[in-house]
Amino acid sequence: MKPVQFSVASKLVGDAAVIYPKGYLNNLSGESLVNECGIYIGRGITKIVVNFSETDLINSIGISLILQIMEDLRNIKGTICCTNMSKFLHDTFEMLGLIQHMIVFPSESDAIKYLKAGTP
Amino acid sequence: MPFNAIPAEDFFNRESELHYLKGLSELKKNALGGDVFLEGARGTGKTELLKQLYRLLYWEGDVVPFYYSFKTANLKGAYFAKDYFAGFVRQYISFAKKEPLIAQGSAEPFERLMPAISSLGLYWLIDCIEDFETHVNKNDFYWQIVAAISAPVIAAKKSGKPVIVMLDDFDAAASLYESSLGDTTGLISLFRESMQNSLCPHVMTGSAGALDAIFTDHSLIGMTEQMRLGPLPEDVAAELFGAHLARLKISPPPVEEAKFLAVLKGNPLYIRNLAKAAWKMRKKELHEKDLIECYSFEVSDGETAFYWSSVLSRYMKTAEQRRAMLKILMHSFENQGFDDVKRLSILSGVDETETGAILAAINVSGIIRDKDAVLQDFIRCLYMKEIEGRTAVYAKEKIETKYLSEKEESCFELVIPMSSNAELVVAKAVEQIGKNSNLDAEFLNYLQLALIEVCINAMEHSGSYEKKVFLKFITRPDRLEIIVENSGKPFSPDTRKEIPVEEKLRMGIKRGWGFKLVYAIMDNVKVERVNDRTRVIMTKNLKDKEVLE
Repeated sequence: MKPVQFSVASKLVGDAAVIYPKGYLNNLSGESLVNECGIYIGRGITKIVVNFSETDLINSIGISLILQIMEDLRNIKGTICCTNMSKFLHDTFEMLGLIQHMIVFPSESDAIKYLKAGTP
Repeated sequence: MPFNAIPAEDFFNRESELHYLKGLSELKKNALGGDVFLEGARGTGKTELLKQLYRLLYWEGDVVPFYYSFKTANLKGAYFAKDYFAGFVRQYISFAKKEPLIAQGSAEPFERLMPAISSLGLYWLIDCIEDFETHVNKNDFYWQIVAAISAPVIAAKKSGKPVIVMLDDFDAAASLYESSLGDTTGLISLFRESMQNSLCPHVMTGSAGALDAIFTDHSLIGMTEQMRLGPLPEDVAAELFGAHLARLKISPPPVEEAKFLAVLKGNPLYIRNLAKAAWKMRKKELHEKDLIECYSFEVSDGETAFYWSSVLSRYMKTAEQRRAMLKILMHSFENQGFDDVKRLSILSGVDETETGAILAAINVSGIIRDKDAVLQDFIRCLYMKEIEGRTAVYAKEKIETKYLSEKEESCFELVIPMSSNAELVVAKAVEQIGKNSNLDAEFLNYLQLALIEVCINAMEHSGSYEKKVFLKFITRPDRLEIIVENSGKPFSPDTRKEIPVEEKLRMGIKRGWGFKLVYAIMDNVKVERVNDRTRVIMTKNLKDKEVLE
């Protein structure tokens, strides 16, 4: 693991926003992830895919901010999918008993297909 | 008594100091030297050097040696005066007659010495004794002390033979009193006249910090030369240890296993005590493990422990003061220094005035000046026994484990500021430490996460003024131990309320995952409060799959 400066990129794929958090997901970077999702939610987007392929490290504050996004989407009856999680990241959520409360796909395209197919 | 010196052949590496002190009266006579304040860490052999000097002068006969130890002296002025005066008279007659037994007969009244004095023709000494007794009979406190202290000067003047006055643990003389401790200050300055006399060089020993404290008269500091007695070099220390063992008929450790002796830092007292401990423990031959075992016994319950315990008792008279001092010393060892009095007062449990007095006593005693590992181990043992309520056996085993395990481990220490992303430095460090130990990269991710969580916890919740997190990584072939410490508010994982995940999510509680991760990742997590610090000790047992071939 080589923690790099956090950045967040995003794109719109159909009616879903795909977010790419990159680097170390902590309180500061987690806030920008929440803000990025907030921008899409503000535009009426209710489907969000978080692609973790470039997230190399996360801490408990980062995890709490992901829970924040999940809650924000739940409040507007939206959906969040997590994709491309490393084994380490997957295990981390699993250790906390959170994985069963998340919709996880191996790849971004699987998540997009799932969201296109209909309401979960 | 000055005659119980060790054999000259066992007195190692102090030839030049001994030579210099021996010639001191000649130097003083020619105004080339004055008095000498002999300083050095406790146990480096200051007292032994005086005893060797005494023996040398005693048998050579050109200079009269007089030795007085304040270590065991009664500091009530009148008692001191009698003791000092009687000591001088007996040692003088003993020197003149070359009968060591006279110097040792402390219970013998002066009248019995009169025939010897007369036979030596020392009539001025009879006058001297009569004068002193007159002061005693008049109950003249001041003149009793002056008469006692002046006796060596009078002897030198009357006989024309210089007297070297050796005052061991001289700083204790600052506590001389009239009726009750502390009622009179400055009696030590009565030595000034005697010290200024050209026929009476004085050689004093004391703690390293004492000279300024005992001489309020700075002209005396100016004419007093400081001589520092350093530790024995490594090879000489090993030779001395070998000589002690040979006398005790114990085979010395092989050279490569004797490296442990470095912990004694060439201190002759420690070296002798360790050899004696080996004898007490009925060792016939020594290996490194035996040395560590003997050493652990020494610092927990042996002569070294007794020695240091009596030194502490000299400075701390009550059990409460002693406990407070222990807490302060432990804190200083763990923090490489002292905090301000206010914080130390909270830590020690005594008020700020008392804490200030303890700090002053520590400073005057000079005990922490030399970063003495043996003293630190002794304090650790005493702390375990007196503060934590452990047994001496437990303390001994802890010290033993410390040195035995240090052999096979590598240890890294790191201090990070409590600032944004500082925990990433720790993550990077653990990655490299793991690589050094051939640990699997994925396995290291979990360790990094656990460490990050503990650091974040410290940064977020401690409210530490120090704003630092101290980390120690100890790697062993089968185990990794990580210790994280920070000052500030106490933290106990027991106060964490375990709420089921579903309920947490339902209630919108998003925080509080950190220590759950730590517990899930590590094999053992222990949170302790040590002085004003929270210490988290995490252990991870290394399985084969986590270590790369």
